[in-house]
Amino acid sequence: MRPLMAIEIPTRPDQLPTTAPRFVGKAVKRIEDPALVSGTVEFIDNLSLPGMLHCAILRSPHPHARIVSIDTTAALSLEGVEAVLTGDDVARWCAPGITAPEGWGNYCMAVGKVRFVGEPVVAVAAASRYIAEDALELVQVEYELLPPVANPDEAMAPGAPLVFEDRGTNVIQSRSYTWGDIDRVFAEADRVVSRKFRWNRVGANPTETFGCICQWDLADNSLTCRGAYQTPRFMALGRAASLKLPANKVKVISHAQGGGFGGKGGPRGTDIAALLSRKTNGRPVKYIEDRIEYLLAGGGQSWDRYYEAALAVKADGTVTGFRVRLVDDQGAGAEGYGTISAAKPLAAFTGNYRIEAAFYDMTLVATNRAPTYPYRGYGPPPHNLVLESLMDIAARELAVDPAELRRRNYIRPEQFPYTVPSGNEYDSGNYAAVHDRVLEMADYQALRKAQAKARAEGRLVGIGVVSTVEPGVFDWNAYATVGVPGVGVPEGVKVAVDILGNVTVAVGFNLQGQGQFTVAAQVVADYLGVDMNSVRVATASTDVAMPHFGQGGSRLGVAVSGAILGACDKLRQTFSRVVAHLMHAEPEQVELIDGRLQLKHAPEHGMSVAEVAGVMLARSDLLPPGVEPCPEATYVWTAPNRNLPDDQGRCRSYLTAANATHVVQVEIDRDTGQVTIPAYFIVDDCGTRLNPASVEGQLQGGVAQGVGAALYEEYVYDAQCQPLVSTFVDYLVPTIHEVPMTTKDHLVTPSPVAPLGAKGCGEGAIHTTPAALLCAINDALSPLGREILETPASPHRLWKVLHGPCA
Amino acid sequence: MTTKQQIRVTVNGTPYVREVEARLTLADFLRHELHLGGTHVGCEHGICGACTILIDGRSARSCLTLAVQADGASITTVEGLRNRETGHLHPIQQSFVDAHGLQCGFCTPGFMMTTLELLNENPSPSDDEIKEALGGNLCRCTGYQGILDSVRLAASRLRTAQDA
Ligand code: FES
Ligand code: FES
Repeated sequence: MRPLMAIEIPTRPDQLPTTAPRFVGKAVKRIEDPALVSGTVEFIDNLSLPGMLHCAILRSPHPHARIVSIDTTAALSLEGVEAVLTGDDVARWCAPGITAPEGWGNYCMAVGKVRFVGEPVVAVAAASRYIAEDALELVQVEYELLPPVANPDEAMAPGAPLVFEDRGTNVIQSRSYTWGDIDRVFAEADRVVSRKFRWNRVGANPTETFGCICQWDLADNSLTCRGAYQTPRFMALGRAASLKLPANKVKVISHAQGGGFGGKGGPRGTDIAALLSRKTNGRPVKYIEDRIEYLLAGGGQSWDRYYEAALAVKADGTVTGFRVRLVDDQGAGAEGYGTISAAKPLAAFTGNYRIEAAFYDMTLVATNRAPTYPYRGYGPPPHNLVLESLMDIAARELAVDPAELRRRNYIRPEQFPYTVPSGNEYDSGNYAAVHDRVLEMADYQALRKAQAKARAEGRLVGIGVVSTVEPGVFDWNAYATVGVPGVGVPEGVKVAVDILGNVTVAVGFNLQGQGQFTVAAQVVADYLGVDMNSVRVATASTDVAMPHFGQGGSRLGVAVSGAILGACDKLRQTFSRVVAHLMHAEPEQVELIDGRLQLKHAPEHGMSVAEVAGVMLARSDLLPPGVEPCPEATYVWTAPNRNLPDDQGRCRSYLTAANATHVVQVEIDRDTGQVTIPAYFIVDDCGTRLNPASVEGQLQGGVAQGVGAALYEEYVYDAQCQPLVSTFVDYLVPTIHEVPMTTKDHLVTPSPVAPLGAKGCGEGAIHTTPAALLCAINDALSPLGREILETPASPHRLWKVLHGPCA
Repeated sequence: MTTKQQIRVTVNGTPYVREVEARLTLADFLRHELHLGGTHVGCEHGICGACTILIDGRSARSCLTLAVQADGASITTVEGLRNRETGHLHPIQQSFVDAHGLQCGFCTPGFMMTTLELLNENPSPSDDEIKEALGGNLCRCTGYQGILDSVRLAASRLRTAQDA
């Protein structure tokens, strides 16, 4: 047998086996869209299975209470009700969710006590959702109220009530990291600027809530879950653990999702629907979360943070140190992996700057708020807001232009690859060039002049200039310090050519909005020289899919490209053997170019990809020995060169470092505290833009969510830990009126290490926009000697800053 | 609560006679009784606009409308946009595809139905008029820029088609 040749993953589009890429790098139309605009895509609530029942969930009205008794007799006797599920069933059949750090998981329904408003207490399966909800009204639950733990101060007070009694504390994790000689740089600083910040809870709120249909097969004790699943195999593993099934007995079929942004949720709803199916002798049970459930207790609450932070600055404006103390209200446990979002800033702790030393003290606390989940960016947006606000404050104190102060401190192009104090390595970039380009595009000097004029007229106009790094292509090692094991995030595909030359790419995830099916089709079409129309991208269920993760961590566009390129290279090698055999040549003499495998020295002799596939499938008599009749290949990609972290969490974690500079102009209405955004400019550099239209869509969508987080969105709780937000009337997702139509441009510094040179680009704007807006607002307030260090800078909060006593 | 009432509706040109519970929402009726799943439900309390349809030419939130209230009405849903004979997308649909007016596409049927009403009434809307019309539809993915471009493109295409 011939030794296997190494698989080569091109890191530049011009290395693709084509004269010139026809699709990669072009703003091609998305293959997802015709079905989506026709309304024919099978979102989970569009699917019905024979005999299907509908689930409704009774949720706790109390933040913290012992369950004394539950009476479900009346509910069970309602016509159409098939089963009722309570904590007793759950305690008998399930395990609490696995968490990092370990031991802070909940069961899928309250067992013994409730820990937050909205926690599931009883679930019903009935002939319709209407009947299931009727039945909930017949359930009697008696509670004995416990004192709620409303915030981290209360949680950490001596003698505080415990959210998880068996833990003996409400502190999930408390640790610090020291990177470099932090005490020295602060001692030697000419100036130290420090502030406290408060970032209130926000969250993903995809337009489609979570939903699923679960069916327990009682014959072989296996489970099939169809639904709006963002990370299918991860979800299957989690369900196997919580439902005590072997992992290969849980099959997850991911349907197209109406957005995700990390906060899709799903574990509890899936387990509950699965157990109801088990209780109804294997009938399929559908659970569709409604918006109120999502807002109260879905996967959508994130980042509830109290910061104290300081920058060490030299007289010449060199920033030398960054110290951060974070207290993070995780809510009722760590079931949603909200802990990770506190560790993620390690991947780019000191942003775009050559800051030599840093310190991070991180305390993660359990309270009786809803558990926190991931949200786009997974942690850095508040961290960047703190760092960038301090940069602006330092600039004001030094009387240096804030844009200029940043420029002086940027990592220089010749310093890449650059290792930041917190350990990650940035692959490439040119921050000053991005910065200069956006200042030029925005005509920054003219903006400042206009601001001076407006100020003279008594108007509150401000400008924010903020640069951030977007760590792209996540790796588990980034989260090791909160207890997540492992290095490497496998993403696998199968590329199959059929007898007529059509290509199918099987992936392990489904549509969510970012356009990865289109990227997959672009890459495979350019590699194999076929038309994009000849490519079909299909979702494999978890029982047959290659190892995969799916959307998350600003990674999938790059990862799926890597997997496809690997599989295509394997195909190329096999096809070359076939062609060489047929043409009495050596495989090394065969090349693939524009969809044709031809002899390098005699290019007129060759075969198309379709012809080779046809020979392989239909003329086994012509195949060389050892070649299977299979024009298909699989490949599982993971980022190269990742490593285990040291005791301070330092490692090469995220593979790519995209960056952007935003320039925003705001005006504050003195009378109402309302912020308007007359102008917004972005220049970004995410390396090769696989589909420029999709990149721009990601940027603009991230801006919208950043506007929401900075100005409007907030999960408000009262002092008793009762949520005051339960509808879209209270949780203010920005509309077309609030979101600025941004002016964009870009530079391209290809990643030297990532497939096709592309960098993760889905999270950059939400990393940047909240900071840019808050900096602009404080710039507008600065002549008044007032500042706001809390988000969202909503009209009522800003009005208080404007009209309250000076701080 | 479970008494049924007969309703007659025309949906995308097809007449239906159905017995429905008085409490059944029009969204649930369209989605689950008539199996027209393109009308999506994002909040069920009238804010997100994903469920927007046209009732006798006027946009309406099907999550806040009861099926019985639609008795006698003519309804248009996203499934009614595509040309049934040719299979071609409606210019509004094609414009959303061409101008990258969607990402996950969950909000898109609602935006397109609102756009249909707008362009029926005002073939040459200004940007402010477009924003005014779309102000009641939430999109969590796109940041609205592609949507604004899509509506502009649809307006110009429909005008050209009219002139031709
Ligand atoms: S579902 Fe009707 S407005 Fe949201
Ligand atoms: S495209 Fe996803 S909500 Fe609009």
